[in-house]
Amino acid sequence: MTTPIERIRNFCIIAHVDHGKSTLADRLLQETGAVDERNLKEQTLDTMDIERERGITIKSVAVRLNYRAQDGHDYVLNLIDTPGHVDFSYEVSRSLAACEGALLLVDAAQGVEAQTLANAYKAIEQDLEIIPVINKIDLPGADIDSTRRQIHDIIGLDADKAIMASAKAGKGTREVLEAVVERVPQPRGERTGPLRALIFDAVYNSYRGVIVYVRVKEGRLAKGMKILMMSTGRRHEVAELGVLTPGATPTDSLEAGEVGYLICNIKSLKNTKIGDTVTEAQRPAPKPLPGYEEAQSVVFCGLYPAVATDYEELRDALERLQLNDASFHFQADSSDALGLGYRLGFLGLLHMEIVQERLEREFDLTLVTTVPNVAYRVVGLDGQERTVENASKMPGPAEIQRIEEPYIEAEIICPTEYLSPVIELCKKKRGIHVRVDYLDARRCLAVYQMPLAEIVLDFYDKLKTCTRGYGSLEYRLIDYRPGDLVKLDILLNGEPVDALSSIVHRDRAEWTGRTLASRLRKLIPRQQFEVAIQAAIGSRILVRETVKPMRKNVTAKCYGGDITRKRKLLERQKEGKRRMKQVGTVEVPQEAFMALLRVGDEQER
Amino acid sequence: MIGIYLHIPYCRTLCPYCDFVRNPIDGAVPQRFVDAVCGEIAAFEGPDKAGTVFFGGGTPSLLAPASLERILAAVGERFVLEEPEVSIEANPDDVRGGLADAWRALGVTRVSLGVQSFDDGVLGYLGRRHDAATARQACGAVAERFDNWGMDLIFGAQPVDAWDATLAECAALAPKHVSVYGLTYEAATPFAARAGDAVDDDTYLELYWRAEAHLAGFEHYEVSNYAQPGRECRHNLIYWNNLEYAGFGPGAYSFVGGIRARNPVALNDYLAHPGGKCEALRLSDAEVRTETLIQHFRLAAGIRKAAYAERFGRAIHEDYGHALDGLVARGLIEEDREEFRPTRRGFELNNEIGLALVHEGGEPRAIASEA
Repeated sequence: MTTPIERIRNFCIIAHVDHGKSTLADRLLQETGAVDERNLKEQTLDTMDIERERGITIKSVAVRLNYRAQDGHDYVLNLIDTPGHVDFSYEVSRSLAACEGALLLVDAAQGVEAQTLANAYKAIEQDLEIIPVINKIDLPGADIDSTRRQIHDIIGLDADKAIMASAKAGKGTREVLEAVVERVPQPRGERTGPLRALIFDAVYNSYRGVIVYVRVKEGRLAKGMKILMMSTGRRHEVAELGVLTPGATPTDSLEAGEVGYLICNIKSLKNTKIGDTVTEAQRPAPKPLPGYEEAQSVVFCGLYPAVATDYEELRDALERLQLNDASFHFQADSSDALGLGYRLGFLGLLHMEIVQERLEREFDLTLVTTVPNVAYRVVGLDGQERTVENASKMPGPAEIQRIEEPYIEAEIICPTEYLSPVIELCKKKRGIHVRVDYLDARRCLAVYQMPLAEIVLDFYDKLKTCTRGYGSLEYRLIDYRPGDLVKLDILLNGEPVDALSSIVHRDRAEWTGRTLASRLRKLIPRQQFEVAIQAAIGSRILVRETVKPMRKNVTAKCYGGDITRKRKLLERQKEGKRRMKQVGTVEVPQEAFMALLRVGDEQER
Repeated sequence: MIGIYLHIPYCRTLCPYCDFVRNPIDGAVPQRFVDAVCGEIAAFEGPDKAGTVFFGGGTPSLLAPASLERILAAVGERFVLEEPEVSIEANPDDVRGGLADAWRALGVTRVSLGVQSFDDGVLGYLGRRHDAATARQACGAVAERFDNWGMDLIFGAQPVDAWDATLAECAALAPKHVSVYGLTYEAATPFAARAGDAVDDDTYLELYWRAEAHLAGFEHYEVSNYAQPGRECRHNLIYWNNLEYAGFGPGAYSFVGGIRARNPVALNDYLAHPGGKCEALRLSDAEVRTETLIQHFRLAAGIRKAAYAERFGRAIHEDYGHALDGLVARGLIEEDREEFRPTRRGFELNNEIGLALVHEGGEPRAIASEA
């Protein structure tokens, strides 16, 4: 049963974290009968535990809603969920490309945030019809007029027709559905032409293999059809296709304008590229759809098993995880300090945290993680350029002509009273002022360019602290720029520990070295012998700290049953030692390898 | 030959630093408890020969002579005792000449007095019910009647500098055995709140070794114990040699036939089922070997290689070569042709020795668990 193209509306919701996107989506599902109250797990669209806990959406899903509008016609409304975080901005752009319209959801008490802004701009770039929805209007702190003004002044949208909603209370749901029908344009696309379908998402299912989410732009996709993925050149046969209501409902075909899933026995997500174009193998389209890009890793870290024997397990886990998250990369790596492990590349910081957490949670691995870093472009004396993704692999100063580092442009929105600490913070992080806009009487937008490396460390936490949680941040990579950077080494008992090396700006090197050494002194437990901690640039020692030797470790009494208690205690201590890495003669706790992250917490001297 | 431990879980006042199984009581130990212990002894299944009997607590000196007699009779009926060492722990407050006479008459061979200190300030800090004068009188009364007597002392309690005088007085009284414990601020005790008073590690060790300096003529035969030659506590040596013992009374542990079991800790649970166990572990051979070494390394004598080979039918180096070599390299133990012994540093860092050894042991399995 094919839906006439004029009865289809494809839309998404863009919103800042916590502005009520998932709740609104749930209301739309309920209102259209896609789920009933009983089956509605809170926030149906967020499927992974981690997503739920963090209140963010990592993987987008599409849900088909059947809606009889006030005009008496039955419509198919495809709600395409978008990832909410900047790390997944490419995926967001592909989700947006599958739509003709977007609901711009703004919390009436919070106003427009950096994330709202960034995604709204993306939607405007894609020429989507944007319907502002002001949510949480019944909250005590709601300021509808100001929110309306911000939507107009900051984003440049007509806010007069903004819908007033309280997704929690179910207010405004009908109005939203009517607006989608009336204001979102119907899809355009020739149904008889060669097939072009946009892959806007893909997930891995252990029973079915890869499930590919597509928006058919032109032509028709049918069961049994031989298809061709235009960027990878891979050919498959469509084993099943259908729509999500929200459960998978197989159909025979998907026509231009429609959104659905297809399954064609693809074993790994690696072979399915978001943004790729699906066409018919027999009758391929002359050109793919525009906008396809390879996902680029921008943040890297080392991942090592806490116990060397878990190396194989870690590899299995990474391979299995990559089945359903093809956006991180890994390659075998070895560290003198940490042994055999892997170097991983991520789309961003949050992406890194998610992957690390999933590895520990889903695969029950105890991992040692090194401090994240960015990729540097190093130009050697011979003029040759190469990319260094691991601080310990940075060549010596004598071999380097210059180092370039990635820069981002950050948009920070915060209440005006916190502007000066924000500026202070950006300056400290080597930020270059671009502009400050006053959004309204209360809030402003600060735009800074700064090295990505500074963001990677602790910028976001610092921003939250200095704005009491009110600051929001979006950023995008802009370019690589030369930096006066040096490699800072940490030595334990005279031996450099590769996993503790970092690349820092020369002006900050001494301070960072001091702080890092003092932090390590607190993290490394007393051992039988003294431990010397030194920070150095090349052969120049910046600072030395000492962990005094353990003086005593003895239980006064040990009679009959005490041995039970004592052995339990020793077993626990042994477990603690298991979580330590033996680096030369020194036992180093895992947290030490992340010590650089917390360096910023120290009082500046 | 096994050791017999009897836990008398009553105290007139509860010392705020103690985390042993104990219950407050006004008068003597109740008959109901004595009945329960006697019943438990009679029902014991295991070896028949015993070489030591040890009354610990709590406060065993709260036992009326008639109760002590009944328990010893029960022990005598169930076990064959061969030249037994019969020890009793006593609170100085309870020791009168008459009571000590009764102990002698009943076959007690060894008395250990909970002196803790000869300084009233320290005794007050520890919340003890006796004062220094009482402690001196008790030592006199016991020394008159028993050749084999000893005392427990605690260091590290405030005022810390009273320690030297206490040691000097102890040495002058010439007991045969002295246990010297560093005060610990156990988590589940009122003293946990005073953990800030704890002396630093350097001071702790200074006080710890001061005992050795004062107790000339004694052998520092275990981490916390000193004895005149030949006067080591035979019962406690059973623990440190990881040999078999049967424990009676609430919270008491037994180690018989490779199973370490514990009696119910709560007095009411114990009285309801005197033979019941609240935990029981069958130790693997490897676990027994590891624990044997851990315990042996509390002893100055360490472990003889031949004794290990005889007991376990394998060479010690085969099982623990790596750990032992590492410990020698770290200066925590020393090795000669015959044996491995802890060094002085090995006493100070005794748990590090255990930690290195525990590497080899597997996880114990619970074979029975009834509350």
